[in-house]
Amino acid sequence: MSPAFSVGRAIRGSAVVVAFVLILAPILIVVVTAFSPTDYFQFPPPGFSLRWFVEFFRLDNMRNAFTLSLELALLSATIATVLGTLGALYLARRRGVVAGLLQSLFLAPLVFPTIILGLALLLLYKSLGVPVFPGLLLAHCVIGMPYCFRTVLASVQALDPALEEAGQSLGAGPLETFFLVTLPLIWQGVLSGWLFAFIVSFGELNTALFLSGPGLTTLPIEIFSYLQFQGSQLVIAAASTIQIVLIVLLVAGIERIVGMGRIIRSR
Amino acid sequence: MKGLRNLWAWALLTPPLAAAVVLFVVPLLYLFYISLHAASPSEIYGSTLTLENYTSVLSDGFYLGIIRRTIGTAAAILALCLFIGYPVAYFVALLPTRRRMIVLLLLLFPLMVSNVVRAYGWVALLGRRGVINTGLRDLGVIDLPLDLLYNTEAVVVGLMTILLPYMVITIANTLAALDRRYEEAAQALGAGPVRTFLHVTLPLSTPGIASGMLLVFLLTLSAYVTITLLGGPRSKLLVSMVYDSVVGFQWPRAAALAFILLAIALTLTGVILAVLRPNRVQGIGR
Repeated sequence: MSPAFSVGRAIRGSAVVVAFVLILAPILIVVVTAFSPTDYFQFPPPGFSLRWFVEFFRLDNMRNAFTLSLELALLSATIATVLGTLGALYLARRRGVVAGLLQSLFLAPLVFPTIILGLALLLLYKSLGVPVFPGLLLAHCVIGMPYCFRTVLASVQALDPALEEAGQSLGAGPLETFFLVTLPLIWQGVLSGWLFAFIVSFGELNTALFLSGPGLTTLPIEIFSYLQFQGSQLVIAAASTIQIVLIVLLVAGIERIVGMGRIIRSR
Repeated sequence: MKGLRNLWAWALLTPPLAAAVVLFVVPLLYLFYISLHAASPSEIYGSTLTLENYTSVLSDGFYLGIIRRTIGTAAAILALCLFIGYPVAYFVALLPTRRRMIVLLLLLFPLMVSNVVRAYGWVALLGRRGVINTGLRDLGVIDLPLDLLYNTEAVVVGLMTILLPYMVITIANTLAALDRRYEEAAQALGAGPVRTFLHVTLPLSTPGIASGMLLVFLLTLSAYVTITLLGGPRSKLLVSMVYDSVVGFQWPRAAALAFILLAIALTLTGVILAVLRPNRVQGIGR
């Protein structure tokens, strides 16, 4: 083994350790302190208690934010999945300039600075008089749609077109072909798209920042305003841990349903 | 039959296209329209058409300083992400498939946790009563807590680690798809490990580097919550100015600032693509 090669290995090894500590340590600290029995932040906590979780569900604004975020995530993920699936079915077998443009349009919210989109929607809603809840819901749909579109598109493109043609030559109309042939073959992609849209909606910050209204605040924004105006109370650690646990469960769900390969490829 | 096919195609396209146009294209065009109008005390925007929202920002030393700081901070985050992320991606790419999947999943999971939670983790680490300060005090290194939070460095470190998994994942995916025979060929022709890396591996991984850099850069520009929690009032970036204008009901000003932010995003995207030229590499990765 040449010296240059082992220097390369040493650099890689230390970069890996540094990277994983930097990425995971802040999350672990939050989870550990959520179980602290103390009034204020102390690390490591001197004992174990669930008082901050009890406090989380006792505080009206936290509980309401949690339910609002759950409702938004469930509804927006479902709408986004329907829209994304329709778009993917339309574009899966099309080539050309128009198809390329449509695909870029459907994927655009993925890389577009969402804070600008949030501001644009806020001003549009203001001039049209759109109420807070539908406004938030529509924003979360736009943000979730590209994730669904992309996972379903990959599933449809991996499909053998002969299967759909066989269905049609046997006399099935487009709707029957979709429900009897296509959907059973792509449901894994549809479901993982839904779960991604759910996760993205549940953690969404940049549009909710502008679109949340009095009494209608999502959980991430509630955590943010607590951190800004009430200091570092440990109920935030509990709120954060609930968020993290929910995501761990969902990721485990995706893993069971579609396998790790698809989760990683779809990012 | 053809008529039914056409009807089906339209039924598929109309809902997602309508959603994208009404909820994405139209709001942005409207925002641009607002940015070209004078402010109004009672309405969202006044009736006079003007470029003043743009010219006043771009001729104001305060805003130009903020723009410079925004680009500098983003550049520092990009450089750190690349220098830490590349070796990690190289390590990940060489792992056997199953272990690679597990490591990538460990990297992907933090990306799904809301950024406000991850920023809170950094507040808990760096704050005056945080893990680092209490640790150093207990060890007797310091008497008074250090001010680790509310400066540009905290923003750079926090955002860098929050976005680092994007860089690692995109580069690792490209490197894992890379045909190892290119490297073997270079070494068989007498190139050492360093030369092989600089002339073969690195250029072939530019598609992954480019998409990783674009993701990190674009997400840095709009990371208002992270920037506010870690940078405090003294380390504001351009996105904070957008938010402050909204809070102050200066809608046309906020709209113009948003489009200046977008112009910076597009310009630097062009620069990154022009420098890295990821399209040189055919057929692998993204």
